[in-house]
Amino acid sequence: MDELEPHQRVELATDAAGNAIVRISGDLDISGIDSVQAQVAPVLAEHPAKLIVDASGLRFADSSAIALWVRWATTARSFELRNPSPLLRRVVTAMGLAEKLAVTP
Amino acid sequence: MIAQDSERRAGIEPESQAAEHQAEPVRPTGRRSLLWLPVAALIIGLIVTAALALVSHSQYTSNEKRLLKLRVRDAGALIAGALPSVQTPLASSAELADATNGNPEKFKRFIAPYVGHTPGRTFATVSLWRLSSPQGGPVAVVGVPPKLALTPAAAMAFFAQVVRRPQLNVIGLLGAPDPRLGYAFATPGVPGGYVAYGENPLPASRRSRLASSSQFAGLHYALYLGRGQQPRKLLVTDGDRTPLPGHEATAIVPFGNSAFTLAMSAQGPLAGTLPRDLPWIIVGAGVLLTLAAAGLTLRLVQRRRHAEGLADRLELIADENQRLYGEQRSIAQTLQHALLPDALPQIPGVETSARYEAGEEGVDIGGDWYDVIDLEDGRLLLVVGDVSGRGLRAATTMASLRYAIHAYAAQHDAPTEILTKLSYLLNVADTGQLATILCALVDVDRREISVASAGHLPPLLIQNGNGQYVESDIGLPIGVEPGASYTSTTISAPPASTIVAFTDGLIEHRGEDLDQSLERLRGAAVARNGALPELLGGLVKELHSGAAADDIAIVGLRWTS
Repeated sequence: MDELEPHQRVELATDAAGNAIVRISGDLDISGIDSVQAQVAPVLAEHPAKLIVDASGLRFADSSAIALWVRWATTARSFELRNPSPLLRRVVTAMGLAEKLAVTP
Repeated sequence: MIAQDSERRAGIEPESQAAEHQAEPVRPTGRRSLLWLPVAALIIGLIVTAALALVSHSQYTSNEKRLLKLRVRDAGALIAGALPSVQTPLASSAELADATNGNPEKFKRFIAPYVGHTPGRTFATVSLWRLSSPQGGPVAVVGVPPKLALTPAAAMAFFAQVVRRPQLNVIGLLGAPDPRLGYAFATPGVPGGYVAYGENPLPASRRSRLASSSQFAGLHYALYLGRGQQPRKLLVTDGDRTPLPGHEATAIVPFGNSAFTLAMSAQGPLAGTLPRDLPWIIVGAGVLLTLAAAGLTLRLVQRRRHAEGLADRLELIADENQRLYGEQRSIAQTLQHALLPDALPQIPGVETSARYEAGEEGVDIGGDWYDVIDLEDGRLLLVVGDVSGRGLRAATTMASLRYAIHAYAAQHDAPTEILTKLSYLLNVADTGQLATILCALVDVDRREISVASAGHLPPLLIQNGNGQYVESDIGLPIGVEPGASYTSTTISAPPASTIVAFTDGLIEHRGEDLDQSLERLRGAAVARNGALPELLGGLVKELHSGAAADDIAIVGLRWTS
């Protein structure tokens, strides 16, 4: 039953500067990657000035989630990983990706 | 040693599952058949029906008996009530005769209104007799000649009795033809007085049906003279035979010096047909309800059996799935082990060991790997990597990276060069895959380690109860940027020290800070003594939480001197 419910939630928004904001909350692991990718693909297709992933509501993200963001970061014109938890920030840093994913703050 | 270990692990699980599988089908035969339930419902229903019918029938019977008794009593009261209408005219005329010294004319005039065949006339004949000489025949007669006069001896005996009994005397003249009932009355205590004697004919065949309007219609009756039901004393009945058919109720009605015995039986139910039919209605309804209940129970039992059969089948399917799952899992693990080194190179001066532990969840192959490559110049390359994602795609990417590293290592490329070259082989934008790789070049004799990391966790150096991570600049994971550059950090290792490289599955705990996880591993590693394979096995066992989804690759190298 657990499998049928997504562990994560995705909200899409655009800020005043025309940046696309993807707010992901819950747990994001390999089982949710395809679903999240499918939801964000149309946003990427519009080539926003910047793609911002707001991870403030994200409790957990595994390496496939990080790989997904890196994929977005290499595809989008500009990318930012905003408000990751300290735990997540530490993992991203350990993978040498803090700069690539433009982790803020 | 690794290969043997992996084969054992791959082999044991399907066998143990097969053993469970064999044990399962025993259960259904242990289930109790519930077919006795509808039979029990049938028997209980029939017993209850029979009991209700019997109770209802006995109620009906006793009620009918009670009603019949009441009717007989009513009829008896009616007969008893007729006594004055017989006695009074005779008594009065006898008294008149005594007073008029047997004047026949006065007697006739007085009694005439009571005699005749029209309704309301009490007697067929009334005659006046002299008590002192009854053999001489009646003094006066009104109506038909009295039958008693034909037998003077009987008349004498009867009238002698009359004198002694100051009440209405009854005599049955029942001989055929023309049976009659006679009544006599004389004023007591008058010697030489007169007796008034009346007669009424009985039906010749003693048969008389009640009018359908009578309050006793619907009843058979038989009236006898005297107490008891002697056939020769039968006065009148409505039926063809005596005793009466069916249950009989009797009443003895005193009448003058004699009595009548009245017997009655019901032609049909007195309380209506419903109480009579109720037992049969109960039987009918009860049998139908019982059959319905038994049928319903049978249906439920059959449904239950059907459901149990389904459950058994589902269980078998689940077992089969479990078996297939185990099989698939073992295939995946076999493939995974095939992609990992068969055996590690034997290099003088160092001991190497490695382990691979499949994640508990799923049957997919993981993308973790380890490698020890002998560069055949007194150096070796220690590699640990982790391709993101799972499944065949992750495994094939892992294999291609692993073989590419072998190729670059054969060209004696430095770890940093190897990583940069690898960065052209994988592109996350195309495949969605990243790989973190740790390359450690080990110079055995000089005990130097050069570490280059593509986004990978640092290796742990252990020596004499101390442990520290070999921190180096962390470069981008492979797949992020083609041509990414890497820097290496070189340290010198103390004698008899051990270096352990691993993938994040070993330490990863959801909700736990990475530094905490690393610290836990460090603590566990320095607390362990013993041979290198036991150290690695112990760490996997201790740190790999049972619910961990991720695979683990761990490789260690220890200087033997």
